[in-house]
Amino acid sequence: MDRRKFIRTTALVSGGMIISTSAFSQSNSILKTKKITILHTNDTHSNIDPFPLNHAKYPDKGGVARRFDLIQKIRSQEEHVLLLDAGDIFQGTPYFNKFGGVLEMKLMTALGYDAATLGNHDFDGGMDGFLKAKQFGLFPFLCSNYNFENTVLDAQTQRNTIFQKGNVKIGVFGIGVELKGLVPDDKFKETKYIDPIEIANQQALELKNSGCDLIICLSHLGYEYTTDKISDRILAKKTKNVHLIIGGHTHTFLEKPTEEINLEGNLVLINQVGWGGINLGRIDFEFETKLFSKKEVLIIEKQNL
Amino acid sequence: MIRIFLFIFCGAGLLACSSVSKIVVVNEQITIDNYSVNNSSIDSIILPYRTELNKEMKEVIAVSEVDFLVSRPCGNLNNWVTDVLLNSQIKNMKSDEPIFCLINTGGIRSTINKGEVTLGDFYKVMPFDNLIVWVKMPISSLVEIESYLKSTGGEPIAGALFQNGKLVINGMNEQSNYFWIVTSDYLFNGGDKMTFFKQNLEFKVTDVLMRNALISGAKEQRILIQDTTNRIFF
Repeated sequence: MDRRKFIRTTALVSGGMIISTSAFSQSNSILKTKKITILHTNDTHSNIDPFPLNHAKYPDKGGVARRFDLIQKIRSQEEHVLLLDAGDIFQGTPYFNKFGGVLEMKLMTALGYDAATLGNHDFDGGMDGFLKAKQFGLFPFLCSNYNFENTVLDAQTQRNTIFQKGNVKIGVFGIGVELKGLVPDDKFKETKYIDPIEIANQQALELKNSGCDLIICLSHLGYEYTTDKISDRILAKKTKNVHLIIGGHTHTFLEKPTEEINLEGNLVLINQVGWGGINLGRIDFEFETKLFSKKEVLIIEKQNL
Repeated sequence: MIRIFLFIFCGAGLLACSSVSKIVVVNEQITIDNYSVNNSSIDSIILPYRTELNKEMKEVIAVSEVDFLVSRPCGNLNNWVTDVLLNSQIKNMKSDEPIFCLINTGGIRSTINKGEVTLGDFYKVMPFDNLIVWVKMPISSLVEIESYLKSTGGEPIAGALFQNGKLVINGMNEQSNYFWIVTSDYLFNGGDKMTFFKQNLEFKVTDVLMRNALISGAKEQRILIQDTTNRIFF
């Protein structure tokens, strides 16, 4: 007997987003309850303008103004949208070398980002540099496993935040990668790194106890490694109460979210959209229940062709 | 036809499953390409910065007849970057001391695309303000360097070959008891876990930014010289 409790349906939808969305909503009307749309980026690395037309790998892809266009289109179609970033906002084009990240922060504010976490490259201008740019970012930076107490970033970030969207309460917390050996010591100074698994469990429980229906971890740990180094896939398996991990750091272009089973046997999704603002991740959740046990979840992939 | 079939399939799947499924998750990875952009608000934020940047960054430094890509264990960009860095350090030097260049794959951040190569492109390839460092290493450190290269799957090198787990450095012979590595201050200080640099006998931090060495090298070449030699074999 097939014990797989959830059914995956893949809808290969071509012809652009508007067509696919309307087709989907028609067939889906019976489930119209509470819908939350999560949009996300990671490792945008100061890519403000689209990649050049002669780019060897990603000609004419990306671009912040186009991303805004796309996000606005989705916002006009969906009532409850969250826009999140999983870190490494800085470093990669001369915009960062010349302006220190100010433009990146201004643009993320203009695009209406709801929260972001810090990536290792967000320390590249030093913590003072980050702070200088951050004043133009009117959205919270979430990080729960860096202790900034003895640094200039003390009280500049928060461990988590809660968004109320309609009837759904969404808790988001941030997890960063170990900086030692990745970032020069003088750029993160006395920042203390705390074990991600322990903290993630604490954060998720705290958010659950606050009544959150959907709990999201914004992570810059990286998708997976050939070693046993902590990654999003390991974090998913070794924690509970987390429903979605939005990852970064490894510049992984996932075709669809990875499904993992957590400590309690519930489903955790991991998603990551490469780097450079080439892709925007979109995950819609429609709730009839708060339970994330595998049998309660139906996952549908739409492919952007 | 295919599209219609899939829509029906999708709809049927949803109806069939609705009685057991209580949370529906729909995912789409949306590629951002030439959407019509009609939001002057965003572009007006970027414009003053772009204008200032372009004054400087659009300067054409060289021409490339091919795409240069970074890859593991080898790539033509791995070779180009390390060749230029090594050459920038030893070209005016007459010495038969063993020396090679070693950097990290992750430190080469972009492609060099076929066509005109601008100053801005070099900021994308090497955005970090890393300085070139000379490090004198004892022969005994080779073991740790070789095991590092094995564990990572290879890093960009010039002036050496990595064959069957052994590093063969130009200018090294049986009498050598040390060799030099040209690298970055980031790696020398333990970046990317290159902890073997702790074994150094001596080091010299130059005042040359790696990026500037690449720009000077490209200017000299005018048409970028491609070397597709495999330098790392397992």
